[in-house]
Amino acid sequence: MITRIHIRGYRIYKDFNLLPNPKMNILVGGNDAGKSTLMEAVSLALNGRIGGRSVLEELNPHWFNTELVKEFLAERAAGKKPALPEILIELYLRDDDELQVLCGAVNTAVPTNACPGVFLRIYPNEEYQDMLDDWLKTPNALLPVEYYTCEWRSFADRELTKRPRVLSVATIDSRTVKSSAGVDYHLRQILSDHLETTEKAEISLGFRTVKASMTDGALATVNTRFSTLGASLLAEPMALAMDQTSRTSWESVITPHVDNVPFSMAGQGQQAAIKISLAMKRHSAKVKIVMIEEPENHLSHTSLTTLLDRVEKLASDDQQLFVSTHSTYVLNRLGLNALHLLNRNYASKITALDPGTVRYFQRLPGYDTLRLVLAKKVVLVEGPSDEIIFERVFHDVHGLTPMAAGIDIISMRGLALARCLELCAAVDKPVAVMRDNDGIEPTDLRVSVEKWLDGTKRELFIGQVSDGRTLEPQLITANGESHLREVLGITPKADLVTWMTREKTEGALLIAESPKALSAPNYMKEAAEFIQNA
Amino acid sequence: MPNHLTLAVAGGRKTQGLVDYCREATDRKIAVLTFTQTNQQEIRSRLASQAGDSNTMEVMGWYTFLLRHFAQPFLRFKFPKDRVKGFDFEGRPFKFATGRSRFMDSGDRVYGCELGKLAFELMEATPTLLRRLECIYDKILIDEVQDLASYDWEILEVLLGSKIDVRMVGDVRQAVLSTNPRGQKNKKFGYAASLEWFRDREAEGLLTITYATTTYRCRTEIATFSDTIFDATWGFPDTTSENFDATEHDGVFLLHTQHVEEYVGRYRPQCLRHSVNSAKHLDLDFQNFKGVKGATFERVLLAPTTNIESFIKKGAHLEATAAAAFYVAVTRARQSLAIVVDKPGESKLPVWAP
Repeated sequence: MITRIHIRGYRIYKDFNLLPNPKMNILVGGNDAGKSTLMEAVSLALNGRIGGRSVLEELNPHWFNTELVKEFLAERAAGKKPALPEILIELYLRDDDELQVLCGAVNTAVPTNACPGVFLRIYPNEEYQDMLDDWLKTPNALLPVEYYTCEWRSFADRELTKRPRVLSVATIDSRTVKSSAGVDYHLRQILSDHLETTEKAEISLGFRTVKASMTDGALATVNTRFSTLGASLLAEPMALAMDQTSRTSWESVITPHVDNVPFSMAGQGQQAAIKISLAMKRHSAKVKIVMIEEPENHLSHTSLTTLLDRVEKLASDDQQLFVSTHSTYVLNRLGLNALHLLNRNYASKITALDPGTVRYFQRLPGYDTLRLVLAKKVVLVEGPSDEIIFERVFHDVHGLTPMAAGIDIISMRGLALARCLELCAAVDKPVAVMRDNDGIEPTDLRVSVEKWLDGTKRELFIGQVSDGRTLEPQLITANGESHLREVLGITPKADLVTWMTREKTEGALLIAESPKALSAPNYMKEAAEFIQNA
Repeated sequence: MPNHLTLAVAGGRKTQGLVDYCREATDRKIAVLTFTQTNQQEIRSRLASQAGDSNTMEVMGWYTFLLRHFAQPFLRFKFPKDRVKGFDFEGRPFKFATGRSRFMDSGDRVYGCELGKLAFELMEATPTLLRRLECIYDKILIDEVQDLASYDWEILEVLLGSKIDVRMVGDVRQAVLSTNPRGQKNKKFGYAASLEWFRDREAEGLLTITYATTTYRCRTEIATFSDTIFDATWGFPDTTSENFDATEHDGVFLLHTQHVEEYVGRYRPQCLRHSVNSAKHLDLDFQNFKGVKGATFERVLLAPTTNIESFIKKGAHLEATAAAAFYVAVTRARQSLAIVVDKPGESKLPVWAP
């Protein structure tokens, strides 16, 4: 089980740390926040290979963190002699008995700490010092990766040649199989891990026999004819035979079939589901780490539900899951408390979320918690009309849209305010909350959520009871009935409060788009001020 | 505390005992530690042919063991920025070197002669080291345990007190190869004196010692002669021989220099000497005492050192190290042993003449 991921100098990660949860880890973040890179780095350090190929084969200058390279070049230009940029990926593992063979102090922890772990390091090869010195005369942003080398070792400083048995990992990516072989690298690995050694031997032997029978059968007549051909240089006999080299081993031709349809032809959702089941449910050598990339891709809502059910059911206590996602549904379903928010070089994690709150959002998986988590600042309102009006008020106060100020206005739509505030506090999100007083004194309404409010980052704003129970009467109090009637353009016959309450959203839109001036209720103005400065 | 030491005589099938033990315990994680390359090869090939393929057994040298499980993983507990880049068997630190240059050369290679000290200090520095070992190995078998030197004894003492079952075989009478010939620490345990150390540990209840006194190699005459090399105060039990093969020339003989040529021509013995500097007056195809450890020869011709000669002539006992080397040489022979001595003195050994 991974207890700490440390990445230095790899792609967008200049110096990055993540402390994963023992079981479930959900990685969220905007596009380009480094979700895939993180998964890739973990898999790189666990397998010592990338996509089945050796690191040095795949290494290119873009693997290096551009910022570090830039700093290196700047220092170089300033006449200093900085060391060439390196890449280091360290995985710290839990101090389990079975992992002790990987235990040692060859890691970057300060002070010196011995624990099980593995690392992968890409660094300039001393053997090429001459060439490197040459290159350093006119350095540029494209590092000379040809002169780099790579080491993959345990924290005990022992070279690793293949993935340690105790660290079985399965990667399930959302990419669907396009390769002609029908089975991509990850699936092949999953399949191979799923089979017992004896089963594999049996298949391999059977396949050889089949190939041999082909040579003796259909090819035999052809070969008789070929033998008279004299095609070769010195008239040695030439014949056709099935290729028995490892290039054509069974792994490359045997593929899973679903309902008699080859895997690669199966639906994309089906493919993902099969991969997950195969990877997580192994009879031998139970897989310890499962990485699932964006399971929501290619899946209908129902399939996604089935898939998540399966993930939950298959996950055992000694499995550690990493799931990257863009879907609020996935996040809520798998449990908000497992969330890691990635923001390029930084990761924050939800700490101490009440289990009741986690369950609450699991029951309401459609709610857009991800939006709340990803926003820079949040304004929570009761419904769409509040949202629309506040946007206008904010623009009037600050001269720019909330969006432009990095503020996301989210409707709670009947959700418990305390739960939302707890979540905001857990991810340390600045938030302003507005709600109707519904005829109750604002001070009384504060009581139940008081502990989440701090007056600088999180605050609650409620209109005075005397100014009206809900948004609409509050607006009337602030603007006067005649002005509003004008703004809304309704006939004198109609009752203003009744109309506004009935046509909530419609009315709000009219007010928001009106060229006429609007006096905002005080609590809204305060909220707009607060969130801008929070 | 099931630790166990078997003190066997030369030709007592010590190594075979270890191999047999491994064959029985296939489910446990076992490290088999040895002190010479030849010994490692021997054990590996015997295990491969007799115990089959097993991934629970590892055969490695003592130095490798210390490097792989002590120095490499835990060096940073002494030198937080350094890593072990290799092993320097020949090199030595400057006499007054301190800090990292005491233990490693400029290329970060650990000095062979300081590895034991380093390993022991790392063991002291962090409890993780021993815990790690306990998780990796159920048992550690040590062949030729008498060859431990200086800090190795401290390390062994900790291992004896750990959860790991330590099984050792050795013959303190043939302690000629010290892992650290120049280490000063624990000089008193070095060489044959290690017997005392083991007996003390036994008294503390850390291990039990059994004596295997049967030789399957040397004939009775040779075995009995080998018993006289160490004086009675050592308390070694007498050797019994299971070699009953009879040839036309069996036993221990003295040989005059003038008959050497004749003797060599007739019996083709393996000729042994203490070192290159000894027996220069004899032009024979010699091997050195230390180089033949573990080997078996049908017949042996031995060129004595001055001390050995005086032992034979006057019964003056050798000091422990010299005695051990002599013991090794003597016990290589299956059927006959001839010692080149011109004047037999008080010796009762038969003199060979053509």
